[in-house]
Amino acid sequence: MVLDARDVISMIKSNMEEKGLPLPIDKSVIYEWSKGLDLPKSGDYLLYTGGLYQLLPYIESLVNQLEKVEKSKAGGLALRFAKKVMKIVDVSKLVSKPDKEVKEYADKVLKSITILLKEAGISFYYDPELDGYSGALLYDMGLVKSFKRHAENVYRLLNEKGVKRVITIDPHTTHMLRSVYPKVVPGYNLEVKSYLELLAERTDSLRFRGGSAGPVVIHDPCLYARFENVLEEPRKLLSAAGYEVREPRRSGKLTYCCGGPVESLAPTLSKKIASNRIEELKEYASTVATLCPICFANLHRVAPSNVRVVDISILLVERLETHGS
Amino acid sequence: MGVKQITYKEALEEIYRGLSDEEFQRGLRIGVGNAEGKFLKILEAHPELRELAALVEDAKKKVIANLEHYIDMAMESLRKVHAKPYFAHTAEEAREIVLKIVGRGKTIVFSKSMVAEEIGLQHFLEESGNEVWETDTGEFLIRLAGSKPMHTTAPAIHLSRQKAIELLRKKLGIKLPDNAMHEEIVGAIRRFLREKFAKADIGISGGNALAADTGSIVLVENEGNIRLVTGYPPVHIAVISVEKLFPSLQIALAAAIVQAAWAGLYPPTYLNVISGPSSTSDIERKRVYGAHGPQEVHVVLVDNGRVAASKHPVLSGQLKCIKCGRCQWECPVWQQTANLWGGPVYGGPMGMGWTAITLGIKEAAELSMLCLGCGRCDEVCPVHVPLSSIIHWLKQQYTGEGEKE
Repeated sequence: MVLDARDVISMIKSNMEEKGLPLPIDKSVIYEWSKGLDLPKSGDYLLYTGGLYQLLPYIESLVNQLEKVEKSKAGGLALRFAKKVMKIVDVSKLVSKPDKEVKEYADKVLKSITILLKEAGISFYYDPELDGYSGALLYDMGLVKSFKRHAENVYRLLNEKGVKRVITIDPHTTHMLRSVYPKVVPGYNLEVKSYLELLAERTDSLRFRGGSAGPVVIHDPCLYARFENVLEEPRKLLSAAGYEVREPRRSGKLTYCCGGPVESLAPTLSKKIASNRIEELKEYASTVATLCPICFANLHRVAPSNVRVVDISILLVERLETHGS
Repeated sequence: MGVKQITYKEALEEIYRGLSDEEFQRGLRIGVGNAEGKFLKILEAHPELRELAALVEDAKKKVIANLEHYIDMAMESLRKVHAKPYFAHTAEEAREIVLKIVGRGKTIVFSKSMVAEEIGLQHFLEESGNEVWETDTGEFLIRLAGSKPMHTTAPAIHLSRQKAIELLRKKLGIKLPDNAMHEEIVGAIRRFLREKFAKADIGISGGNALAADTGSIVLVENEGNIRLVTGYPPVHIAVISVEKLFPSLQIALAAAIVQAAWAGLYPPTYLNVISGPSSTSDIERKRVYGAHGPQEVHVVLVDNGRVAASKHPVLSGQLKCIKCGRCQWECPVWQQTANLWGGPVYGGPMGMGWTAITLGIKEAAELSMLCLGCGRCDEVCPVHVPLSSIIHWLKQQYTGEGEKE
């Protein structure tokens, strides 16, 4: 059976209104990772994670359930199960069990990013109270009024605290805060930079170990490549870290989607697109560098065991003189 | 003909049937593999084509901003070259106009036309007691299969060689071995259709472009069937949607060339220009209409929502589309579903806008939710149709949170 888009949309909308997050989870999930990391409390840039990496383990758990619903035949037990899954209250039970492996991975990415920012000497700070979700999913699904309300709230909070410059860490949040918020939030005035852009400006400050780190194939996320022009930066950084960057047939401006945007509406279709992409990528190298949590989740889900799908931040930290393994 | 309603769930169910149809997937995979990226090689060898595309885009904007003016101009120009112009507001009107010209009991040869498909013309003429043969190889095969075109310029993209053999054997009794190769299949179709061309009373074509200043129809092709459809029977009817209008013949020719290049077929084998019926003045300089080619040329201009769309703040952008189908080849969803995603006639990224214009915004909005919003279609469109923005607007109509139409 297929899922009803209206059920999924109403679930997301209602969670956003209640929690400010697309899933029924506590807001503490967004900043828990930072505990014990001793992150700076003041600096030039606010680190605004946007929460996507933190949501990954919950998204993973939900998509697995939704896929089971799709694979079930309508009628009898399967239909009752489907109805249960689609009810918001039950979804909250399902997502309360995040994927442990993915959670560890997400925490590692977040930590890696802060290590890189520190190493590069970028003046940044983190304030758990200011971090949150950009509302990207609302926008992507055409819920533009709900998105506008959310964006205004996000900006109001940042503006009240005098934030002028932010660092984003994923393409969805970067695109929303840099290109979409200015169109919908009156008086919006924030300088938004992806951490990859800032790191690329200071590549020389990053002390990488010498020698070759082997080949990696780069998977450009659609939003960085086609909407935000973040193309050269990841290549520059990976090369500086000693990786041999390989370009797949569909890369740069013509990069191929991971299927992520329809993962909650049509998981089987989404998975097919991801499989298509991983088939191509693995021809170039056994390590696939991703720059987006959604790309990671989708490609990781379908990758064969001999293919390592890994976030660029982890790859870079592995090559740092001070932190490399 | 009633309008086929579409719901999100029905559309997704159809898509999932396509995903689990191994033969459909195999055909699609081979076809997409052979097509994707081809146009990049063409552009590398002929960078001047981008300049031509920019000229076409500018001309398109000019026409869309004043569509009714260009329709009037084209009607007048067509009369001047002794063609008979008609204007049809709706699909039904267009069908009735054509039927009135055709009558009943005729043999008709068609050359693939998406607008004929859009208005259900072939089926309607058959039901009205005519023998109708499609002559484009891909369209010929999908008619035998009872399917719909799965791509704008490659309608049988989902059919394998084995399926083509099976259809020709079962539906037409054509003898072909199990292992017949592509050449043998094409040869068998050619032999079968020769007789139809020879006995046809009427040829019906579409039009890649129509020059408003000269009334010239421009048609681009590789098979040679359009030459026969428009040149052999005594009567030629061209059914052309109004967004195919261009201010001049020069730019209309450019549009056909751009369409061929972005469809991955450059240089095109044939470029046809038809300005009215055939004629000769070789005997005492007296002009006689109806020499070797058709004696009559009828041109049915089809609106079917386009004039209204030209005044719409979002959907007017879709009218820039020259229907090269490039966005379909490059779309990650379309590559899995072909035109199973997009509406009863059109499909893929361009299909959303065309379905909204020709069928209804509500129907297109149901389908739009499966768009990834990845922007790959925007990147490859030769005339910069804002495809992902149109689809995002349709999503807003689906959720009820957008500006009202």
